[in-house]
Amino acid sequence: MTMVRQNRNHPAAAKPLRLPAAAAGIASLILPGLGQALARQIQRGVLMLASTATILVMLGWRVTLLAHREVGAMAMLRKALHQQPLFIGLVIAATLILWLWNAWDAYLLARSLRAAPVQAVAPQSPAGTKPPGKGVFFYVLIIYFILGWQVSEINLVKMITQLPDAWPPLSKVLWPWEAAMTREVQRISAGAEIQTPCLGTPPAPPQEAPGKPYVSVEPRCGELSSLDKNNQVVQGTTVTLSGRGFAPNTETEIWWLDALRNEFRVRLEGKYLSVRTDGQGAFSISFPMPYRLIVRKEGESEIHRVEARQVSTVGPLKASEPLRLTIARMVETIFMGMMATVFGILFSIPISFLAARNLMSVSWITLAIYYATRTILNIIRSIEPLIWALIAVVWVGLGPFAGILALTIHSVAALGKLYSEAIENIDSGPIEAVQATGANRLQTIMYAVVPQMISPFVSFSIYRWDTNVRMSTVIGLVGGGGIGFILVQYIRLLDYRAAGIAVWFIAVTVGVLDYVSAEIRQRFS
Amino acid sequence: MLTVEHLTKVYEDGTVALKDISFEVQDGEFLIIIGLSGSGKSTLLRCINRLIEPSEGRILWDGTDITAAEPAQLRRIRRQIGMIFQQFNLVKRSSVLTNVLSGRLGYARTFSSLLHRFPAEDRQMAARALARVGITDQAHKRASELSGGQQQRVGIARTLMQQPRIVLADEPVASLDPVLAHSILGYLEQLNQEDGITVLCSLHYLDLVQRYATRVVGLREGRIVYRGSQEDIRRMTDEEFKNIYGQEAERTNVGPRKRE
Repeated sequence: MTMVRQNRNHPAAAKPLRLPAAAAGIASLILPGLGQALARQIQRGVLMLASTATILVMLGWRVTLLAHREVGAMAMLRKALHQQPLFIGLVIAATLILWLWNAWDAYLLARSLRAAPVQAVAPQSPAGTKPPGKGVFFYVLIIYFILGWQVSEINLVKMITQLPDAWPPLSKVLWPWEAAMTREVQRISAGAEIQTPCLGTPPAPPQEAPGKPYVSVEPRCGELSSLDKNNQVVQGTTVTLSGRGFAPNTETEIWWLDALRNEFRVRLEGKYLSVRTDGQGAFSISFPMPYRLIVRKEGESEIHRVEARQVSTVGPLKASEPLRLTIARMVETIFMGMMATVFGILFSIPISFLAARNLMSVSWITLAIYYATRTILNIIRSIEPLIWALIAVVWVGLGPFAGILALTIHSVAALGKLYSEAIENIDSGPIEAVQATGANRLQTIMYAVVPQMISPFVSFSIYRWDTNVRMSTVIGLVGGGGIGFILVQYIRLLDYRAAGIAVWFIAVTVGVLDYVSAEIRQRFS
Repeated sequence: MLTVEHLTKVYEDGTVALKDISFEVQDGEFLIIIGLSGSGKSTLLRCINRLIEPSEGRILWDGTDITAAEPAQLRRIRRQIGMIFQQFNLVKRSSVLTNVLSGRLGYARTFSSLLHRFPAEDRQMAARALARVGITDQAHKRASELSGGQQQRVGIARTLMQQPRIVLADEPVASLDPVLAHSILGYLEQLNQEDGITVLCSLHYLDLVQRYATRVVGLREGRIVYRGSQEDIRRMTDEEFKNIYGQEAERTNVGPRKRE
């Protein structure tokens, strides 16, 4: 099409071309596009030159990045080829081919124009002198694609090899429901005091109360484990802990509390020590006393404590903290979207009248208002809600209000444009017809304008609500409240299960809303 | 009697649509206006009920100067002048019944009409109007669901609601095929002959003009170039008809027509 236009504007093009075809080819060999330009296809020549030049510049950039330490173009090229032989080699080869193709293109073009000067206008041409097609530009696109692959650091190998590492957290996100429900946890514990080192009377065994768990330790005093001067382990006194009155057949952990009541689980050969109670809820276990953590005063003894603890889940299933938080935030998110939409509608309706050309072309003043409104709306709309949210957070602080503010600003611009286009598209025929019946202005608006407006207004508003809820799920990422706010926190805490719950809620909510909004809009169209 | 005196219309962009038009229409006439697209037929019809403000000249209707009427008076005049359009101009999303009832707006009380409340006699009248054009069963459909011919019949029913003394029909059949054209013009003829309503109608096809007109006015470039009685038009040949239309007559029946 463009060629046709060019030839018409260019009376010279109707005259036969005198340029020899070979000369055009050689000209393009010297400077890509020159031959085409000489053959009066300026646009094609410029495009050819621009393509070749951008490819060379991109290649040069990548080479300097790969070999920034080398001095001299050849040395850099050699280094870059060494670093990424496939990519650099491929692009160099492709560029050379492009250069030759461009010369061939110029040759073909000149030859076809010599044979039939009105070639570009008349599609049927003598055999053998067909003008070159657009294949060369498709080839340029392929070279761009190769460059793009490297510039954007696409790495398929990484994508596949790192999948196994990513699987554990991903699987938690995909199926997070184990973390959705919890049960009440009951702790049962009993302890006995032990003296170290043995000095005077050891502490008395604890009193046993009926119905309560009970433990006793033997002996009731001993040496802690320690290291001697040669860093050899000197094992502490082996003690035996016996307990009864615990929950039967349950893992029981052994904990040690030192004189300052620092508590830690006892380890034996690197593993946490635990024992399983028998059918009557009794157990007995022997282990050496653990290492000392705090230097003790010479000549004094300390009272340590050893405890047996059981953790058992009891009671009915309950929603876990992440689930409850997610639901609360999801509700918040839906309301954020709704509030932003309501505010957006309220503000955009009056603005849309100012942005409707058919209403505003009364005088140059109104037309100026129209252009100003349109420009402002376009600028506001071109800034993403996420960026508005960053601004709103600075303005009103973290939280859902910042998100609502950001979404409202964007909604006003988006709806203002859509509504004003709906106003512009009103059919004037029915207005004329209703006026012709003798109706007054209010009746005309009610009978001819409103029915035409309702459908697009409802449809755009519902669509915007849908969009706003979808947007408010991400607006929390920058502190704008809603579910995104906790999602990003869970991801930072590496709590993938909780993050997974949030992701699931977002997906389901957005999906349902999408369906509902499409249904409603269908009804109104 | 409707009298048009020295009517001229110049649009803001300088286009002269009508130039010094004068003619009279007796009560009960079926006056057909012929002319090319752009000859000023639509402008002329719209000047009569002042959907378009004339630039110069007067339009008198039984001694009342329509061109000088105040807004309230103009609405009282308009409600007695029905209008039928080439594109039907129905509110497509409203029901057929609402479209028909909207013909009554000039008589209705503003407040109750805004709430879509019409007196029972208006509703009965709408039912009779729908029955008269044979679309009673379509009353509760959306106007957009109807075929072109049916939509134009709704347009006629809407006009009937006005109990008009004059009906202006702007190319009422140009968007319809020939069979439907006769059906629609048949209703207009019925209004004209049975109800004594004056009809001013613009048309394109000679056979339709010959069949329905009691008098013809030909327009070209905003001027009256032909005035003929029923007998004149019956005797008219295609050749003469083409003369009125000028050299481009061949092209009048093909291609999309713009509203002039």
